[in-house]
Amino acid sequence: MTTAELSKLLFSPVTLLLYTSAMLMYLYAMAFSTVAVDGDARASKGRRARFVATSLTWLGVLAHVAHIVVRAIASDRLPLGNMFEFSSIIALTVVIGGLVVIQGRMKRPELMGFVLIGALLTLGISLLLYANPAPLQPILDTWWRAIHVTTIALSAGIFSLAAVFNALHLLRDTAETRVAALAGDGFGPGTVGAAQAPPSEPDEDTDATVASMDTRVEPDVLDLADDPESHEAAYRTALRDVLAERWFGIRYPWRIALGSAFVGLLFSLIWWDAGVSASIVVTMFVLAGVGWAAVPFLPGASTLDSLTYRTIAFAFPIWTFAVITGAMWAEQSWGRFWGWDPKETSAFLTWVAYAGYLHARATRGMNGRKASWLGLISYGVLLFTYYAVNLLISGLHSYGGISQTVGA
Amino acid sequence: ASGSGGAGDARTWGVGFGGTYLRGVTQLESFDPPRMNPEPVRGPRPVTVGGLVSRAVRDMWRRLRTMRTALWLLGVVGLESILATVVPQRMNVPSTVASWEAGTAGPGVAVSQVLEFIGAYRVYTSPLFVATLLLLFTSLTACLLPRFRAWWRISRHSVPPLSRHLGDQEHVARFASPLGVEEARATARGVLTDHRYRVRDGALAPDGSTQVAAEKGLIVREGGSLMFHVSFYVLLVSIILGQLTTFEGFASVVEGQAFTDTSIGYGVYEPGRWFGPEDHAGFTIRMDDFTVDWVRDPLAPGAGTPTLFESDVTLTLPDGTQTAERIENNHPLVVDGFKIHLLGWGYAPLVRIRDGSTVVYEDFVTTVFDETETAFTGVVKAPGADPDLGVEVFLVPYAPEGEDGGPVFTGAPWADAPVLAYQSWTGDLRLSATQSVSDLDTEGMTEGSFGFLRPGQIFPLGGTMTMEFVELRQWTNLQVSRRPQVPWLLLGSTLLLLGLLPALYAYRRRVWVGVAPDEDGRTLVTVAGRAFQRPQAFEDEFLELDQALRAALDGPPADLPSQTAQGARR
Ligand code: HEM
Repeated sequence: MTTAELSKLLFSPVTLLLYTSAMLMYLYAMAFSTVAVDGDARASKGRRARFVATSLTWLGVLAHVAHIVVRAIASDRLPLGNMFEFSSIIALTVVIGGLVVIQGRMKRPELMGFVLIGALLTLGISLLLYANPAPLQPILDTWWRAIHVTTIALSAGIFSLAAVFNALHLLRDTAETRVAALAGDGFGPGTVGAAQAPPSEPDEDTDATVASMDTRVEPDVLDLADDPESHEAAYRTALRDVLAERWFGIRYPWRIALGSAFVGLLFSLIWWDAGVSASIVVTMFVLAGVGWAAVPFLPGASTLDSLTYRTIAFAFPIWTFAVITGAMWAEQSWGRFWGWDPKETSAFLTWVAYAGYLHARATRGMNGRKASWLGLISYGVLLFTYYAVNLLISGLHSYGGISQTVGA
Repeated sequence: ASGSGGAGDARTWGVGFGGTYLRGVTQLESFDPPRMNPEPVRGPRPVTVGGLVSRAVRDMWRRLRTMRTALWLLGVVGLESILATVVPQRMNVPSTVASWEAGTAGPGVAVSQVLEFIGAYRVYTSPLFVATLLLLFTSLTACLLPRFRAWWRISRHSVPPLSRHLGDQEHVARFASPLGVEEARATARGVLTDHRYRVRDGALAPDGSTQVAAEKGLIVREGGSLMFHVSFYVLLVSIILGQLTTFEGFASVVEGQAFTDTSIGYGVYEPGRWFGPEDHAGFTIRMDDFTVDWVRDPLAPGAGTPTLFESDVTLTLPDGTQTAERIENNHPLVVDGFKIHLLGWGYAPLVRIRDGSTVVYEDFVTTVFDETETAFTGVVKAPGADPDLGVEVFLVPYAPEGEDGGPVFTGAPWADAPVLAYQSWTGDLRLSATQSVSDLDTEGMTEGSFGFLRPGQIFPLGGTMTMEFVELRQWTNLQVSRRPQVPWLLLGSTLLLLGLLPALYAYRRRVWVGVAPDEDGRTLVTVAGRAFQRPQAFEDEFLELDQALRAALDGPPADLPSQTAQGARR
């Protein structure tokens, strides 16, 4: 077996299988991850499942890192030279970020299933872009490039992590808002009162907001006077109910599924391939179902919102730095630091979009959902930058008269 | 009991100047400028045209100042950039734009005319883009000026307010210290100062209690945000001045030939508006030898990928000094602020065409790699022949002899067995018609002969014409650029990043340490705190601060996590 074959094997099936089984285990564990209402038996079952899931994920990381290292050896360079390698590093960042920060520091293991879904989606798409390890064109081989692509991959990974929380926030927030709108029956005065509190912006800056939002969304911290168990169960059921429609005799979050499938379909046009489109649409349908089923077990909307914000705020300066080093690299390699070519333009666009999100978060008057949509759109811009511009648009352009054999 | 019960006089408890002022400061949580005074109340005023106009202007100014406007403008800039991503830009890919306009590519001539009309082919120089940018910066300015004023005042005068109800703060910790009240306060003050807090002592209350109030983070956070936004001006000014003073030129140089840095020395010449002929450095560069290499093993990973570009050149300065230099990828030659990059190359066969014994054409043909032909292609135009002669030239660098003696074409780019395939045309070259030098418009021309030439071979083209492939060299496309703005852009970028970090991560928090004597002669210490942003980060910091205070005040170590209010839980 050559090193190239070994690296491929480590990636697929080893890493993919480990991540997939870990993801399923996490989702299974999630059902037990909230306050253990009916006793220790369930809670410890959840704990055991989560332990297995965590171990599987770490094994997956191990295999993934091994794959990257072997690949780097096979091609004798930094393993960030093409889109496949790039996607791979992005997914690794997502997984490690999830394990270390989300599960380790923030103690939110219930989100890990979705973190792994995000990573697996990235990896699945990367398989469409698979390329055998190969050396780099000399123009790509500089220190600036090394810094540039590493930081871009890192921040793109963190933005992807944020996008997972962002999507979950919108889902959970929709459910909570609808339940609040229906309130009055069955959720006790505490919830109703809080639900009717004026919509407050998800601003970390004011503790008054924080308090009111936490009351609004987190039933498990509510001071429910009577029978908290049934209240909680009812709330959880309600959260799920409000998202679903009964179409074709099946209860399913049809609208959400159709919406995400449509977006997925648009995205799949990049490949112009019926098979790819169909798999993406099916995936979106499945994901909508998984998200729907998981809605009651997710953290409260305000928690998810704050998580999204903090993750994006963490990635943003790294992206900024990466764009700057990209310009430095262009100046060194091509003698022009910025040429508004599609790649540069869309990197800038991504930056502007996320700046818009950060501004929206800082402004009063922009409510949490709008900002959250802006966050998701920003991620869409990032995906556009990455996939569409790389695969579709750069064909139009060449770097300032460079001939193809020079290979820019 | 809260740590510092009892009422002090109004001034020390922050109702006087400090209090009013600090209420203003509190507003900075939203980065609104603090309002020192309430808006003056005005009576109705007579309606005049001037009044209306000035009101409209004031209204617009007010609206421009809001961040919502800035957001929208930012969005418009984004949309315009999208347009520029999707529609080819003349400054990047003029040939693509040309083919869109001609209708040979893109959405067709009609759409192309609309695109031209709305300036979509030159988004970044279009009036719309410039206007958006102008508005955006006006908005930015309108919003930054009051923030600057406020920040300046705060950083000079701000003192943290005292707290009447320490026990009501988000984070509260209590312990007893053997130190005396005054000593305890002084020590606590020292600890807070060591942690880089700005501190303020409270007065001694009648019951013998007192406190020290401390704050940190606001100046850094807001200052960072200001620096971040100011960096946009630095960037903008650098970009504009840079556009005016920059220089870029391209020269195609065949091995053994040279070009000189003058206003007529370049094939493509793109100076900034303020860059005059006298700004050239006047050096001469002769391309002595250009080397390119690839992964040659067809079975190796990345077969055919270039691995090396090296140009050995002779640099002659205007004063006559000559030096041998080397240009490599990512290692441009720098002469007097001008950077020389290799941006492209190709093979340059020397072709000589004779009519009888008269040479009608003799030149290096600059061929460019053509992916569809897997060959380097170029054209020869010899209007000196009669009738006009045009030759399409295909250079295949590696075409070894096959068994039948003919060349076997391979896609390999190295010139180990070069062969020149040609197709000649006779007729009218129509050189007066606008056409590019690298295209041969064969319409109306008669197809001539087709053949292969090895270096040194001569072939008849028909009639008395012969074509000779004299020798094979390489040509290089050199870019010469001067970018005086780069250091300024770096400065702007550095400011941007240095400002961004505190603007996002620094957080404003207040800590109070109240000290009060108890009946046993000990001192009861109450540590209270509250964060305005990043409550999670403050949670840890507060615990740490509590520990430090306990250590300094000889209090018992904290064994339980201090009581923290629920609001901190996110
Ligand atoms: C990219 C990251 C950016 C961040 C993190 C950022 C951050 C901020 C913050 C924290 C504020 C004050 C928010 C408030 O008033 O509550 C602000 C205000 C503002 N920013 Fe930015 N900014 C960014 C980029 C930009 C850009 C690119 C522009 C336009 C060139 C811009 C224009 C403005 C304007 C006009 C305001 C005034 C808002 C007001 O006080 O009403 N910002 N920004």
